[in-house]
Amino acid sequence: MLTLNPQTRKKLARFRKIRLGYFSFLILGAMIALLSVAELFVNSRALIVHYNDTLYFPTYGSFYPGTTFGEDYSYEANYRALAKSFEANSSDNWVLMPLVPYDPYENDAKDGIMRPEAPDFSVGHYLGTDTTSRDILARLVYGTRTALLFAFAFMCSVYLIGIVIGCAMGYLGGLFDLFFQRLIEIWSNIPFLYMVIIVFSVIPSAASIPVRIGILLSVMVLFSWTSMTYYMRTETYKEKSRDYVAAARVMGAGAPRIIFRHILPNVLSTLVTFMPFTVVSAISAITALDFLGFGLPVPTPSLGELLQQGTANLRTAPWIVTAAFGTLVIILSLVTFIGEAIRESFDPKQFTLYR
Amino acid sequence: MKLKLYLALPLLILSACGDSPPPEQAPVINNTEEVQQYYKDHPDFFSFKTLSDVPTDLNWESGGDLPEVGSPNALKGGLETVRLADFPRTLRTVGPDSNGGFRPWILDNTTMSLAHRHPNQLDYFPGLANRWAVDQDSKTVYVELDPDATWSDGVPITSDDYLFIFWFFRTEYITAPWYNNWYENQFTNITRYSDHLISISIPELKPDTDSKVLELRPLPRHFYNEVGEDFLERYQWRFAPTTAAYVIKEGDLKKGRSIRFTRNTDWWAKDKKHWRYRFNIDRVNLIVIRDTPKVFEAFKRGDIDQFGLSLAEYWYEKLPETDPDVENGYIHKKWFFNERPRPPYGLWINTDQPLLNEKSVRLGIQHATHWQLVIDQFFRGDYDRLNTANDGYGSFSHPTLRGRPFDVEAAMKHFADAGFIERGDDGILKREDGTRLAFTLSSGYESLKDVLTILKEEASKAGIEFRVEVLDGTAGWKKVQEKQHDIHFSAFGYSLELYPRFWETYHSSNAYYDAFLDDGSINPERKSKTQTNNLESFAVYEMDGLIDQYRQASDSETMIELAHTMSELHHEEASFVPGYYAGFFRLGHWRWIQYPEDFSFKHASGPTQYFVHWIDQDIKTATLNARRSDQPLSKSIEVFDQYRTPAIP
Repeated sequence: MLTLNPQTRKKLARFRKIRLGYFSFLILGAMIALLSVAELFVNSRALIVHYNDTLYFPTYGSFYPGTTFGEDYSYEANYRALAKSFEANSSDNWVLMPLVPYDPYENDAKDGIMRPEAPDFSVGHYLGTDTTSRDILARLVYGTRTALLFAFAFMCSVYLIGIVIGCAMGYLGGLFDLFFQRLIEIWSNIPFLYMVIIVFSVIPSAASIPVRIGILLSVMVLFSWTSMTYYMRTETYKEKSRDYVAAARVMGAGAPRIIFRHILPNVLSTLVTFMPFTVVSAISAITALDFLGFGLPVPTPSLGELLQQGTANLRTAPWIVTAAFGTLVIILSLVTFIGEAIRESFDPKQFTLYR
Repeated sequence: MKLKLYLALPLLILSACGDSPPPEQAPVINNTEEVQQYYKDHPDFFSFKTLSDVPTDLNWESGGDLPEVGSPNALKGGLETVRLADFPRTLRTVGPDSNGGFRPWILDNTTMSLAHRHPNQLDYFPGLANRWAVDQDSKTVYVELDPDATWSDGVPITSDDYLFIFWFFRTEYITAPWYNNWYENQFTNITRYSDHLISISIPELKPDTDSKVLELRPLPRHFYNEVGEDFLERYQWRFAPTTAAYVIKEGDLKKGRSIRFTRNTDWWAKDKKHWRYRFNIDRVNLIVIRDTPKVFEAFKRGDIDQFGLSLAEYWYEKLPETDPDVENGYIHKKWFFNERPRPPYGLWINTDQPLLNEKSVRLGIQHATHWQLVIDQFFRGDYDRLNTANDGYGSFSHPTLRGRPFDVEAAMKHFADAGFIERGDDGILKREDGTRLAFTLSSGYESLKDVLTILKEEASKAGIEFRVEVLDGTAGWKKVQEKQHDIHFSAFGYSLELYPRFWETYHSSNAYYDAFLDDGSINPERKSKTQTNNLESFAVYEMDGLIDQYRQASDSETMIELAHTMSELHHEEASFVPGYYAGFFRLGHWRWIQYPEDFSFKHASGPTQYFVHWIDQDIKTATLNARRSDQPLSKSIEVFDQYRTPAIP
């Protein structure tokens, strides 16, 4: 399998030395780690409820109806109200709420009117609320998580397909190569946005949100894998004609061994440099699609939807667009910095003999 | 050889996706003979008589004493820019895709019928007719056409243009079943006495017998003489000669972008009473801007002259009293309370879908939708709760029925009746077999998507999930017309009529083909009927009978009673969740747009409906100058509540 050879280790050490990229990587890593457990920080469900000498942990898992805590309704307990009533009764019961005690869907209208409210630390709306009084920070956090998840899934799928097909084209050559080249030329000329619109118009509306996101992902992957094959094909062609491949073949190595043990590790450095930019383009694409209304279904929190709200209320609620735009800038910059650093540290030209 | 084959393959695929060959030259059609033959084949319907056959004891009316519509101070001229949300898919006024937001511009609000209801008094003032007379005994309305009336291309309007509509609207060529049905069943005879005298008979007397006839609009016989099999394509983008003051000139239609109307300076009615102070603006430029926020920005820049402020968000937040343009009097704000049939904003439940065909599920949905919260918190209490689908028709509206209130317990009780007892892990109810209580809640109102998300949030308390689907206007309408929806949030724009219609929305013949067997039981093989306004797929045998009685009834009392019974039946079936109505409209307009003293009319649906506004060029120059030099002018925020009706408690 692919183990770290000394060269790769050298490259990683070099990457660590490029401070901007390295710190961006650490920050993004920490962000992703935090986002993956966002329910613990941003949630209308309490972290811990102590009620009648029993501890409840409602964050994950199924919901507790209000009746569990002695309320008179059977829908999900309103933990903020619960906290207040426990406090007022000065009983032993208590509720520990997360840092941001709101979920991205609930309308929390102050003085009974739904409208964008400016950031207010006293009520826990750290970035304000949107046009229907939903917490912006909550929507931002969950929207970003979806976007990042989407982007990484997108990258993995695109690379998998791109590498397999590109490699096969380069290694097998001949008619296989010719056929796929023509196929890719045609395929890449199909307008991607129209396809998304068409596909979305025929998705049964009964499909759940994860399914819809999955379909969106596959449509995007379906129309994005082609560009990767060009690089893989040429790289494989190049490596295949090198002496070490010929040597391996003389020693009796089969095609899989040659591809996986010899060629792939050598072309990987080229691929790695593209990765962050693929992530950037995926985040931009999903945001743009959302902005246009072809992305995630309402009311799923998303960066694009927030941006759209922000631009629609530019005069009256500038904090919406600031939050969404700021987040987008930060994430895209981090990924780009990482990308630059990877490119610099993995650039094969630094090791080439033909310099 | 092989290589060539590989190369040829993609080429083949490519050419298969390419354009089809150009259509052949459209064949020449002249339907004159076909129409004449049709008249001959229906001698009972089309009669040809002479002036001496007209009864002499008729009581002629002309409505000439009704007050003018519009202001004598109105000035002609100017250019107004108006937003169009979506480019029309056709210039036809009948057939598929024609019943969209653009049609009022080429039909409903601009063209003339025989006579028109006065927007304050409801009586008729003359349009294309000089005078008219109702003969109760023969259920006939006699009409004398104005001999001055001409089409916009100069051709005189004669009796023949009226005879023609009864051929046109009954042909299958136009692919418009509603029209086919209406013109087949709502009239029994048209008689031509002379070029300018006709009579039209209807099957049953009605409290508003005259309106059935007087609101007919003629069709230019000479223009539609090519109507045939290919009507839809042939007339797709042809602007018909019109009775309206506005015409579209050659080259003024830029597909997908804009449409420009020009005031016809030779318009035949330009000096007629009731018409002379209307349609004042010389050129109206309709430009497509899809996003409402963008329209508002364009309005604030002065590119667009008027902007509807009925949404609370705009009236209170985006254009508040303290806005510099309002404060300095460059933009005026107006709030006008009206009185008319209310567009039934609410949830139209498609009873043809699984689960939704169960009444207890529908009853649960009624109690699971929190309209009061939407009204109070999102619309800030400006709007009122709608109680039935036919509010605002005076005594024809049901006096005591109320929209069902939001009530989690009641909703869950009804859902339990349908077998939804357990809550899943996500709090949504499910049946024992795992069926979740989840429906798609779709809408074509992009600007009202927040209403849907609020409803969704609240409904989840009652254990029901709404999957919100926001479509663009045309796609949303298409969806319900194809009856593809589960639950759709929409409303119909009702025209000003004395009493509500029930056939269109609740008759089974608009829901299914052969909905019932002869004994009144449900036909197990019935097929859904698309392209009708029965959005609920409402088919109740008893209702069909009531509707037929209602259509045949002639006196108000019977009709009122029937209307109430039908409203109760409809309420009981719970297939429509009444939402809200706005008892008013609000407008922001630049100072140079002028309105008559009373601003609008008691029965108007919107400020521009009657085209009584005008542009004062001097004020425009002055306003723009003042704005440039930051000089304040007089501020104006007016509320017109003389026609305000108190909300039902």
